[in-house]
Amino acid sequence: MKSLLRTDLKLPVYSLSEQAVTIEFGREIDRNLLELITVFDKFLIQNPFPGFVTSVPAYTTLSVFFDPARVIQSDELPGRDCFEKVSGYLSQLYKKRESATFAPGSTVAIPVCYDPELGPDIVEVAKIHNISVDTLIRLHSDAEYIVHMIGFMPGFAYLGGMNDLLTTPRKSIPRNAVPAGAVGIAGRQTGIYPLQTPGGWQIIGQTPVKLFDVNRAQPSLLKAGDRVIFRPVSRLEFNQLTGEE
Amino acid sequence: MKIRILKPGLLSTIQDMGRRHFLSQGVPLSGAMDSLSARIANKAVGNDDDQAVIEFTYADAAFKAETDLLIAYAGDGMRLQAGAQILPPERPVFVPAGNVIQLIHNSGGVHTYLAVAGGWDIPVILGSRSTCLTASFGGFKGRALQAEDILSSNGQPGDMSAGIFGRLKNDHVNFAKWSINRQRLLPPNRKLIRIIPGREAGWFNDQSIADFLSAPYQLSRNSNRMGFHLAGPEIIRIKKVELISTAVTPGTIQVTGNGRMILLMADCQTTGGYPRIAQVALVDLPLCGQLKPGDTIYFKEISRREAERLDLQAEADLSRLTTALKSIFL
Repeated sequence: MKSLLRTDLKLPVYSLSEQAVTIEFGREIDRNLLELITVFDKFLIQNPFPGFVTSVPAYTTLSVFFDPARVIQSDELPGRDCFEKVSGYLSQLYKKRESATFAPGSTVAIPVCYDPELGPDIVEVAKIHNISVDTLIRLHSDAEYIVHMIGFMPGFAYLGGMNDLLTTPRKSIPRNAVPAGAVGIAGRQTGIYPLQTPGGWQIIGQTPVKLFDVNRAQPSLLKAGDRVIFRPVSRLEFNQLTGEE
Repeated sequence: MKIRILKPGLLSTIQDMGRRHFLSQGVPLSGAMDSLSARIANKAVGNDDDQAVIEFTYADAAFKAETDLLIAYAGDGMRLQAGAQILPPERPVFVPAGNVIQLIHNSGGVHTYLAVAGGWDIPVILGSRSTCLTASFGGFKGRALQAEDILSSNGQPGDMSAGIFGRLKNDHVNFAKWSINRQRLLPPNRKLIRIIPGREAGWFNDQSIADFLSAPYQLSRNSNRMGFHLAGPEIIRIKKVELISTAVTPGTIQVTGNGRMILLMADCQTTGGYPRIAQVALVDLPLCGQLKPGDTIYFKEISRREAERLDLQAEADLSRLTTALKSIFL
């Protein structure tokens, strides 16, 4: 199967469950693919079919959840069963995607304090790469990251765009509790823990910002397609911002 | 209507049909592990299926009726008693204020669902009353129930509930002679779980697929609302590429790096990166919700279309049931 970026054949859709199908847009992690998925997701949400429930974008896929009893009753969707009705609708919608208006994702600046008290592994990680802590902070905060998807736990963003020089293996012994807001590195990934949880990432800093808050209309601070910048802040500023949150 | 929890039992949480609209933000679906029993308990007191219920895990729990109650329960693993009097399941039961109800262990199964006329008064958070244990929100204060917690019903029960209440109200425990026959809504073989091949089913060798569809698999100890670890013949991969994380859903069976299977359940993560050997047919997921560590199950393959037909059939049966109840009590 080739990427749809290059061909325009029938949309590759598979059944995830009786209540969901997954569109497979490609086979490799890629920023253009992310843009295509983000645009199509928005387009679908603006143009839902009868029985549409929700959609879940991921690296190379968009999964579409629905209510089978409502889909099967819908005469406007052609097909013998729910899978045919939903995948047929999605294929038709995909052909019309040119009319989708594309609003780029937001750019979110996230303050991060790289103080070793909040980033207990930062000195060790700098040592592993034979660089100074200041260089590590610069490499980590100079990049513009992109949110490929949210998953693993509420509000957890899979970020692309970390400098390869910062690739660091996970800790050999995971911590029993990593605080909410901890900024870490694991392999080629960097990310922020939205909730306190056990974890094996190398923790290099902490943000005072809440990545997940049920009291917000959109509880997850980030969404697929957003761009993220880490803004280094002092311990003093971190404490002030923590008070405001 | 109001109850006071005297003994919470192992894990008692508020659940409904789940939080369906925030999956893209990583929020687990949650909801009743055995959704069929939860719906039956709700229907029996005249509620909509999606009202909040209490999900009890194993028995050894107790609560007190602080006011007159109209309740119903359904599920497996326990029966409810007021003193020596057994309260029958799957039907509305009137309990006068002051009674203590105990949940007594009786047979296989894990979860029992307690519905109250009007539904439990629990705030809707992100579109659901279910407890999100991962992020400590929803349900009753974002946590499992504890001794001395007080739960109330919604002030205005519907006309159906009022109709049932009117017929059963008495000065002693009283219950309907009719019941919703849950057995008739369940498949005959409760240890045979029907599956549809998963997207990555072709990533495993033939022997592994043959084992998967014939050998017994046992639930391991580290099984919970997030998922069940299954012990049995190893599932061996022939395709070694890494799966790029994508959406998963309750009923997805993943194969981990060491060849073990995990059956994802109600509180599972929204995305996963393990190859998926199969998806449990939706109609058999409530059966899985009653499994406990040590239970042995078998898997049987059915087609996607058959699974969809079974699900729509089950939904049609349940909605006929609602229509029948309405014709009696409205």
